Amino acid sequence: MNRRLATAVLAVALAAVAIVLPDFVNAYRLFLATLIVVFATAGVGLVVIMGWTGQIALAHVAFMGIGAYGTNWLFSDLGVPWLLSLLLSALAAAVVGVLIGFPAARLRGFYLAIATLAFAELIVRFFVEADTITGGIAGKPIEIIQLFGLDPDRSQWYIALLLAVVVFTATDRLGRTAFGRCLRMVRDAEVATGSLGISATRYKLLAFGLSGFIAALAGGLFGQLLTYVSPDTFHTALLIQFLVVVFVGGVNRLSGAVIGAIFVVVSRELFQDVGDWQRLVFGLSLVLAVRFLPGGLTSLLPRLREMRRLDRQPQEALS
Amino acid sequence: MSGVMTGGVSRSAGRAGPALSVSDLRVSFGGNHVLTGVDLDVTHPFTGLIGPNGAGKTTLFNVVSGYVTASRGTVKLDGADITGAPQTLVGRSGVARTFQTPKLIGDLSVLENVLLGIDGRSSLLDQVRQAVSLRGRGQANIDRALSVIDTFSLADSANLDAGSLPLGSQKIVEVCRALVSEPSLLLLDEPAAGLGRDDVERLVEPLKRWAAGHGTTVIIIEHDLELVTDLCDDVAVLHLGHIIARGTPAHCMSDPQVVEAYVGISDRGGADGDKGGAIGKGAGGVNA
Repeated sequence: MNRRLATAVLAVALAAVAIVLPDFVNAYRLFLATLIVVFATAGVGLVVIMGWTGQIALAHVAFMGIGAYGTNWLFSDLGVPWLLSLLLSALAAAVVGVLIGFPAARLRGFYLAIATLAFAELIVRFFVEADTITGGIAGKPIEIIQLFGLDPDRSQWYIALLLAVVVFTATDRLGRTAFGRCLRMVRDAEVATGSLGISATRYKLLAFGLSGFIAALAGGLFGQLLTYVSPDTFHTALLIQFLVVVFVGGVNRLSGAVIGAIFVVVSRELFQDVGDWQRLVFGLSLVLAVRFLPGGLTSLLPRLREMRRLDRQPQEALS
Repeated sequence: MSGVMTGGVSRSAGRAGPALSVSDLRVSFGGNHVLTGVDLDVTHPFTGLIGPNGAGKTTLFNVVSGYVTASRGTVKLDGADITGAPQTLVGRSGVARTFQTPKLIGDLSVLENVLLGIDGRSSLLDQVRQAVSLRGRGQANIDRALSVIDTFSLADSANLDAGSLPLGSQKIVEVCRALVSEPSLLLLDEPAAGLGRDDVERLVEPLKRWAAGHGTTVIIIEHDLELVTDLCDDVAVLHLGHIIARGTPAHCMSDPQVVEAYVGISDRGGADGDKGGAIGKGAGGVNA
């Protein structure tokens, strides 16, 4: 009960800070904070497909593109309300995710990586060709929303927060129930899924769909933050940043997406003056994380606890 | 075997025919004929499936549980033909199994691993309802899983990560996961391999009680002949892809064909067992 109370107090305190934050930081800092929230939300989709289901999925930023372009097209060109546009685009991305999942469900490791990368290229190619929707190779400006009479920066901040709370809460809930356990069974012991009545293919498809859905939700907001998107926006450089989000943060934990998003956005700021060398920073941090900290930064605390427990054991045995 | 048939609500006792009926089962991998015509009716609560390495025991399990498709023959579960049915369908029709090495999720708790035995048989709609319910819709499942865990004396470990447990406990967790769905047929693939005598005791006695109480039919592949003798009153000996002996453990262990299959010759009177010409029941080192 005390723990629940502490969690509730912490949540209320965080919510209070989040609500008043725009009054205490300048527009650029608020933009960065919103970017962290959007990156963390998109990272949740990668945690679901890579961390929980164990599938290599390299089409994630292409799904963000579906969210960004789709939302803007429905909202700006067709006059659909913005939130409904976002939801419809995310549903479209979920369908594409499931379609990609069909061949992907039969592939593993290296072949799965190549297949999803190829699908990402196909989607980006579609962005180039569908110029009435996307503006083609030149890209398209994004119509900025203003909700509740707030200025755009505040609108984006509050929508990003609301979306992140919904996505994190719902995904956390799913992860703790039967659905999440079945995904992990696919990841760790696919050979035994059938004997438990679990269809590994079905759960892979659902994970691809859910991951695409979440990526597109984040993508819709990402477009708002960038104000202008082109097919190049959703290419390998952004994919690498999202791999850094989940692998530096911790691919198995939702909190890893938050830590990883902070790491990436802060790194982007610190190294923005070094041009292409920025990519070296992300590449290097990815290699170092995978090599020396496979569970990411969020695994540090549990590892330290385990080391302290093991250190104590011999002393307890002697006493 | 004692006590297994007595007491409890026995599904097996209420059956008109065999729990499992395998007829003329043949499996080949390329030119390698692994099963060459297996006929097996299982009517006892505990049936031991033994035989030397490479006899085809695990392949038989794989066919029954839908992992491998037979090139010929039929598999019937409680009279229903399940030949060639996909593994998920077989799993949902009441067949549960374990593997030689436990297939658990190391970073989930023992309780969560056992819950997977129920999860896989629940519909997707139920799973979504469970996820959105604020009233603890999954509590009944949790109680069921905890009850099985408690039966096998693992209640203290229910909230520990399964990966942190020793191998013996992990194997028992896998048995719990298989049993929690209350299967009509349980296939145990070498459950005692790598286990100490204490772990075997922790596994066997609750398993006997469970089977008697729930009417579960158990087929067990095991190298530990002492365990087979203790648990099973019916044994089938598989050798080179077909059944060479069937009957009580004592009958099978003294069968000349069985002795020959194990030690290569059939007339080494007394040299290989504690009874003349038989394989001793304590022959833990002999591959079954």
